[in-house]
Amino acid sequence: MMRRYQEKGDVQKKAYYNDRFWVAPQIPKDPVESDEIFAKDLESLKSKFEIKEAYIQRGQMVVYIDPKDNRDVLKHLKEELAYNFLSELSAIDWLAQKGEFEIFYQMLSTSKRKRMRVKCFIKEKEAIESVCDIYKSADWAEREMYDMFGVIVNNHPYMKRILMPDDWQGHPLRKDYPLHGDEFAQWYEVDKIFGKEYRDIIGPENRDSAYVNERDTKHFARIRHEVRFGEEPSKEPTDLMKEYQEEGGVFLIKKFKKDKSITLKERK
Amino acid sequence: MAQHQVRYLQDGGLPVLLTTADKILQWGRSNSLWALTYGLACCAIEMMASGASRYDFDRFGTIFRASPRQADLMIVAGTLTKKHAEFIRRLYDQMAEPKWVISMGSCANTGGMFNTYATVQGVDRVIPVDIYLPGCAPRPETLQYAVMMLQKQIRRESAFQKLKPKRLV
Amino acid sequence: MKTPRREYPNRLEPFFENLVFDRDDNTMVINFGPQHPSAHGQLRLILELDGEQIVKAVPDIGYLHRGMEKMAENMIYNEFLPTTDRMDYIAATSNNYGFALAVEKLLGIEAPRRAQIIRTMLLELNRIISHLFWLATHALDVGAMSIFLYCFREREFAMDLMEDYCGARLTHSAVRIGGVPLDLPDGWIEKLAHYINKLPKDIEDYEGLLDQNRIWKMRLEDVGVIPPEMAETWGCSGPTLRGSGIPWDIRKEEPYELYDELDFDVPVTDSCDSYGRYKLYMQEMRESIKILKQLIPMYKESDPQIMAHAPQYISAPKEDIMTQNYSLMQHFVLVTQGMRPPVGEVYVATESPKGELGFYINSQGGPYPYRLKVRAPSFWHTSILQELLVGHYIADVVTIIGNLNIVFGEIDR
Ligand code: SF4
Repeated sequence: MMRRYQEKGDVQKKAYYNDRFWVAPQIPKDPVESDEIFAKDLESLKSKFEIKEAYIQRGQMVVYIDPKDNRDVLKHLKEELAYNFLSELSAIDWLAQKGEFEIFYQMLSTSKRKRMRVKCFIKEKEAIESVCDIYKSADWAEREMYDMFGVIVNNHPYMKRILMPDDWQGHPLRKDYPLHGDEFAQWYEVDKIFGKEYRDIIGPENRDSAYVNERDTKHFARIRHEVRFGEEPSKEPTDLMKEYQEEGGVFLIKKFKKDKSITLKERK
Repeated sequence: MAQHQVRYLQDGGLPVLLTTADKILQWGRSNSLWALTYGLACCAIEMMASGASRYDFDRFGTIFRASPRQADLMIVAGTLTKKHAEFIRRLYDQMAEPKWVISMGSCANTGGMFNTYATVQGVDRVIPVDIYLPGCAPRPETLQYAVMMLQKQIRRESAFQKLKPKRLV
Repeated sequence: MKTPRREYPNRLEPFFENLVFDRDDNTMVINFGPQHPSAHGQLRLILELDGEQIVKAVPDIGYLHRGMEKMAENMIYNEFLPTTDRMDYIAATSNNYGFALAVEKLLGIEAPRRAQIIRTMLLELNRIISHLFWLATHALDVGAMSIFLYCFREREFAMDLMEDYCGARLTHSAVRIGGVPLDLPDGWIEKLAHYINKLPKDIEDYEGLLDQNRIWKMRLEDVGVIPPEMAETWGCSGPTLRGSGIPWDIRKEEPYELYDELDFDVPVTDSCDSYGRYKLYMQEMRESIKILKQLIPMYKESDPQIMAHAPQYISAPKEDIMTQNYSLMQHFVLVTQGMRPPVGEVYVATESPKGELGFYINSQGGPYPYRLKVRAPSFWHTSILQELLVGHYIADVVTIIGNLNIVFGEIDR
C-alpha cells in the first residue's frame, strides 16, 4: 500500500473529519459607509493612497493597502487621523496557499475610540519597510515578526532574533515548521551543553505524554507504589510516602501530632 | 523526560551503613537546606508563596538564596526553555557539593503541557534531579512535602562516601 | 591557549561576559539576568555603565518562550483555554476571559447575565490578587521585606476564594467560552463580602507603611519617568499609561461585559513617575473593591443560567447531556472535533491588570484557529526599558523593572 501523500507546506494539525456538505459561514463584512467616523477616515486615506479593499468586521475597520505605502499610510493615520497607538503588528503565513505573508497593523485611536486594522500582502522573499520611527512600539514587534516568520524588515535599527536564541534555525510560526520542532530544535540543548557525541547517551526526547517505563524507578513510580531509590518497582501499594520522618523521629525536630492540632472554625 | 536506565549497583545508589558522624553531619545538612531561587515561570509564584507568610518555608531551615554559591538545593520551578537550558547548567555547575535538585511542576519534570519546539522536555536532560514534584502548579504544601522527602533521603545517605556520580555530572 | 581540563562532560566554557571593562571610554558592561531574583522572571539586560549611570540598556527576552501561539494553531479552541492561564500567571482568569471573549465575538454569541456577573467578580478579584502581588514583589525588590509578607497574607485570602470557586490556586481556567462552568458555591458570596470589607483597612496599612516612608519615597519619586508622548509611542497601556496622565481604561472607554452598568472611577495621575504609579495601583484596588460591592446584589437578582445557548458551538448544560440524547451527541462532537467558528477575524482587547490584553484570532472555518496572536501588555512595557533606563543609576533598575509590572509568561508566550 502506498502512503498517502501529504502536503509539506502546512504541517499543522488538521481536522480528521470534515463534513462533505458543510460550508463554513462567514462573519458579515459591513460597508464602511455604515459608520460615520470610519467613512471619513477612509475618505481621507483614499484621497492619498491606493486602497484595495475596505470593510467593517465586528466593529473594526479593515483596510488593505499596497505594502509599499505602509510607512506613509501609518504616518498619515498617526498625524492626520489621530490613530495614536499601534497596538499590535504581526504576520500571517499564507505561503502554502498563495506564497504570501499577510501583515497586519492593529491601530487604536483613543480620541475617537476606534480600532482599525491595516493589512497588506508581501511575497515570501520580499521585505517590508520598518515603521518603528513612526511608532516606537513597532521595534520589538517587527523583530518578533522576523523571528517567527522570517519576514525581513528594512531599515530596522536592530534586526535580530528576539524570542529564539541567536543561533536558532528556522522560523517557528511558519506553517511548514512542525510543532515539535525539527531535528535541530529537538537536540538544541544537548548539542549546546554536552556536544553532539552525547546524543546517544541522553537519548531522544520523549514526546509521548502517556509514556511509562515500569523499570525506570528513578523517575515516576505509580502513585502509592513509590519505592526507595534503586529498588524494584512494587506490585503492592507501599506506604513509603506517608511518613515524613523515620521511625523514632529525628533529633530535635518536632513531629506533627494529629490529635494535638486544632482547626480554626473561622478564618481570621 | 529523558529515557535512560540507571545502573544502581555501579552508581552507588544502594543504601549504606551509617556511622554516628555521618548521622550528625547529614542531620545538619538536611535541616539547613538553602535553596537557590530558580523561579522560571508560574511555579515560581507558588515557590514564593511557600516562602511567604502563610506557608513559611523557614520552618524547615530552608532559606532562599539568590546566589548559587551559597545554595545546596536548586528548586527548578517552571518551564525550562531551550534558550535558557545553557544557563541552568552553568548555575548548577557553580553550586558547591553536596547539592540536590528538586524539579517542581510538570514543566520541569517532563515539559508538561508545552510539548513544543521551544521547551526542554524535562530538566533531567540537562541536570540530574533528585526529587520530581508533580502538579501544575504544585501547591506550596507539596513543595514542602518534597523538601521533607529530600531531607529524609539526605539523612539516609552517607556523608563521606565519594561523591556519588549522578548521571550527567 | 590550552583548553582547561574538564571534569564534567559539558562543553560550556566559563565566560566572563558578566563584567567587561572597556579601557577606552571608561564604560563598563554588566550582564543582568536571565536568572536574577528581582528581574521578575527571566529578563536579561545588558547594561552599559558610566560609573553608576546607565548609558545604554539592551533588554533580551525569550527565555520563557514556550511556543503558545504555535500550540494554539494545533489545538481546538476549548483546548487552548487552559494554556492561556500560563500567560499572565498572576492573574490567570483575565487571560482566560480575554480569550473567551475573543472567541465569543468570533462566534457572535454572548454569555448569559449570571455568567457575566461571575466573570466580572473573578476578574476584579484577579485584579486585586495581581496588584497585591505587584506590591509585594516590588516592595521586596526595593527593600521593604515586611510588605511582602503582609501582601501575601491578604493575597492568600483571595487565592482561597478563587480556589473555592474553581479548585486551583494559580492556574484557574475559571472561564469557559460562552459562560462559566459552575455557579458560585454556597457561602462564597459571604466570604467575598467579608474579604472586601476588611481589605480597605489592609490597603490603608500598606499605605501607612509606605506612603511617607523616606526610603520608599527616595527610591520611587522621579524614578522611571514616562512622559505621555513616550507612553503613547511605545504602546503602553493599563496603569502604566494612566500613570502618565492619559485616562484610557478599556473597561470605561470600550465597555465590555457589565462594565457600563457599574459605577467606578478610573484613577489617573500625571506625575509620570514610579511613585505616582504606586499610588495608582493602590487606588485601583479600591475601585475593584467598589465594583465587587456592586456585583453582590446584582448576582442575587440574576437568573441561574450560566452557559450561553448556542448548540452549534457550546455544549448543553450537564443535566441535559445526561438526560437528552441529542445534547449528548452534540457534546460528543464538540469535544472530539471542536467547534467550527465562521470564517473571519477579530481583535478583542480587554483590560487585564497589566494593561491592554488583546487576542487576534483568524479563523478559516476549521476547528483550529488559523492564526492566533496575543497582544500582551508586558511585551510592550518591556520594550520601553531600552529608552527608560538610560540616565538612571544602576540601583534604580530593579525599581523600574518592578514598577512596570511585567510578567514573563506573557512577554515571551
Ligand atoms: S508546571 Fe504548570 S504552573 Fe508550573 S511552570 Fe509549568 S505550566 Fe506553569
